[in-house]
Amino acid sequence: MQDSLRFARRVPPCAIVIFGASGDLSKRKLLPSLYRLFYERRISQNFAVIGSSRTPMSDDQFRDRMKESVSKFLEDAPFDEDIWKSFAQCLFYVAGDLSEEDSYEHLKTKLDEVEKSHQTAGNVLFYLSTQPSYYAEAIKKLGAHQLQKGNGWRRVIIEKPFGHDLASARKLNEEIHKVLDEADVYRIDHYLGKETVQNILAFRFGNGIFEPLWNRRYVDNVQITAAESIGVEGRGAYYQEAGALRDMIQNHLSQVMATVAMEPPTVFDAANVRDERAKLLRAVRVVKPDDVAKYAVAGQYGPANVGGQNLPGFREEPSVKPDAQTDTYAAVTFFIDNWRWADVPFYIRTGKRLPKRVTDIAIQFHAPPLGLFSQETKGGLREARPNLLVLRIQPEEGISLRFLSKSPGSGMRVRPVSMDFNYGSSFGERTPTAYETLLVDAMAGDPTLYTRQDMVDASWQIVQPILDVWGNTKFDFPNYAAGTWGPQASDEMLARQGHVWRVP
Amino acid sequence: MSAIIFPAQPEQILKGLGKLWTSLGEEEKHQGRPTVLRACAMTLIVATDEADAGFAASQTISELMHEHPARGIVLAVSPDAENDLQARVLAQCWKPFGKAQQICCEQIEITAKPGNWQNAAPTLAGLTAADLPVIFWCRHQGALKKDASAADRGGLEAIAKLATKLIVDTRGMQAADGIALLLKWKGEGKLVADLEWTRLTQWREPLAHIFDNAALENSLSGFHSLEIEHTEDKPGMQALYLAGWLSGPYHAEVTFRKATGYGPDIQRVSFRSDTAVIEFERTSAECVTLWSSTGRERKYSFAEASITALMTEELAVAGYDPAFNAALERARELLE
Repeated sequence: MQDSLRFARRVPPCAIVIFGASGDLSKRKLLPSLYRLFYERRISQNFAVIGSSRTPMSDDQFRDRMKESVSKFLEDAPFDEDIWKSFAQCLFYVAGDLSEEDSYEHLKTKLDEVEKSHQTAGNVLFYLSTQPSYYAEAIKKLGAHQLQKGNGWRRVIIEKPFGHDLASARKLNEEIHKVLDEADVYRIDHYLGKETVQNILAFRFGNGIFEPLWNRRYVDNVQITAAESIGVEGRGAYYQEAGALRDMIQNHLSQVMATVAMEPPTVFDAANVRDERAKLLRAVRVVKPDDVAKYAVAGQYGPANVGGQNLPGFREEPSVKPDAQTDTYAAVTFFIDNWRWADVPFYIRTGKRLPKRVTDIAIQFHAPPLGLFSQETKGGLREARPNLLVLRIQPEEGISLRFLSKSPGSGMRVRPVSMDFNYGSSFGERTPTAYETLLVDAMAGDPTLYTRQDMVDASWQIVQPILDVWGNTKFDFPNYAAGTWGPQASDEMLARQGHVWRVP
Repeated sequence: MSAIIFPAQPEQILKGLGKLWTSLGEEEKHQGRPTVLRACAMTLIVATDEADAGFAASQTISELMHEHPARGIVLAVSPDAENDLQARVLAQCWKPFGKAQQICCEQIEITAKPGNWQNAAPTLAGLTAADLPVIFWCRHQGALKKDASAADRGGLEAIAKLATKLIVDTRGMQAADGIALLLKWKGEGKLVADLEWTRLTQWREPLAHIFDNAALENSLSGFHSLEIEHTEDKPGMQALYLAGWLSGPYHAEVTFRKATGYGPDIQRVSFRSDTAVIEFERTSAECVTLWSSTGRERKYSFAEASITALMTEELAVAGYDPAFNAALERARELLE
């Protein structure tokens, strides 16, 4: 009955338990994604969601709340009242505190009911969308109440942050492995679920023309930018403790770097792809404490007027200490010590209150060996190295290739032009959100886009020395104004290598 | 075209552009074939303090798009603006002769209440097209003045920082002020251009052709004396540039002389060696005549180039302009 060319991948029946169901992530991402999957018939008809949080609610109250959220946060898709009614029949709620034993017993009872009423075959996907400090305890209690075993499979999705440093990540892994096998642990990094990030693999390994150029011989440097124009938006208390390096570079951007730089897997399956990513991360040079100032820059935004609107500095944001030392901007130079990438700098930057929201990866190729048209290209480094391949992750997913072209008319005048592929206009159809992709993968038992213990470990190792040094440094913050591309020290970091940040 | 006006937040403007392209794409759906081609080779920022709230600048941008497709951004000042800084987005589209497909460029108009244009740089920073040159054409004469207020000068410098090339028109400025401004930006590593230099093309091109003559070929080093007649009390930017260009390579002796004639600026150029003389003179309002001691005499039409024509020429020079930069340096020496 299956037709893999025409049917969506078959997802087995299951129940999804969301811990922290009244939180922002559930409302904004998880439930809208599940509704959309249901709408598109991409999940099994034998499916149920059990929300759990401390807020007392009935099933119907939970359904009403989620209806409000789904209709509000559904991205690029219509909300259909009739479909919602069917979907809502699959939503249930169990109130409870993760630290209390009773909560797990109530959950167990509900799971048993749902298994019978919705024929979920005993398969359960637990989603930890709670405060990170509850992760270890929740998993421990799942084990204590035998919820990690059942008639079908049991898997656990764990949201970031996975630990707050290398030691805590290792400790958390230890606690998890007391209850679950690594194969049942799905550490989510939603960046890896984005279509364009997945497309990096297709672009590199599905084509024959790019991979021969993908090495130190042709690539001068790589720049990965994840810029946000917004501030901390009510997350001041969390962000104050996390900072940009922890919040973005340790997880999302190091995984993106691994995807860009990894070796081709021998087979395209979860184990091989993840092996290559992990291997790449292990090859990243760990910066020595004395060199942190040379290879890493911390920044924090100050107040500014942007577009006639006065924006507060980070220290003026609600719930933020007036002397906070948090990095709202981080830029790091990484080197990958392998044959492919030796001495090629990978510059990664991320920050809040930058001029625009944009995430992309720029592969800057070497300049041609002889500057035949140097008179026209003398105007700066960017023009001196004209060939730039940009993999755009957001907001407009796509790929651009910049090269020099002769201007029409007599004489050999050259100027940079851009050849663009736009995901939306080429495929026309709506692309699934990262959470839709990742939820389906987890239900289908495909961990390719999830991070494995050794990958998490390796990515913490490369940022830990920077965190240690920054933790003992008193910065003269703020050092960049909102609406600018970050502190001057970041430009200087690249200038030391003879490079400049591109303007995305 | 979009008439929706919103606060000048980069995210809102970019979303507005996205919607604009979506609406342009709707036509394609109806016709079932590509009808719109999105073109962009640069970001062109134009700041103006003219009283027309940016109308003339917008008009010029729309004319420039045909040869230099760009994301055009006009930053204008108007007392009628509803917000301190407000924006609207629109598309400039045209259909090349004989083609079925329209070419469209996006344009952003940012209007500031007086005293607020200086805060536009953070907005502009979020609006530049990725990885393409950013050209800043400053028509804001108030900010270019030597005695510009600190706020105006600060606003100008903040926008200048975003640009790879800066274009100004120093016509009407004191030469010393214009040269100082351009050299300052040049010293900061910017590509600079001056429309006063661009206006000289119609002087420079015929003069250069003279030296294609076999009798004068390789004789440039022998031209030791240069006399330029101009209409201003002191030599203006055009006279200094021309002197800098002609005298630069071999440091010919330069004399400036005030004269009356047809129209503003340069009236006559006389270039001498021991054996040859070249003279180039405006002989009517619409004509210049060139004489050379080789017996050549030729008349050329002479017309004040439009701003669009000057900008079209200047935008075609994407990189470093060695002739202009050498002339600028020499002009400074002559001024001293």
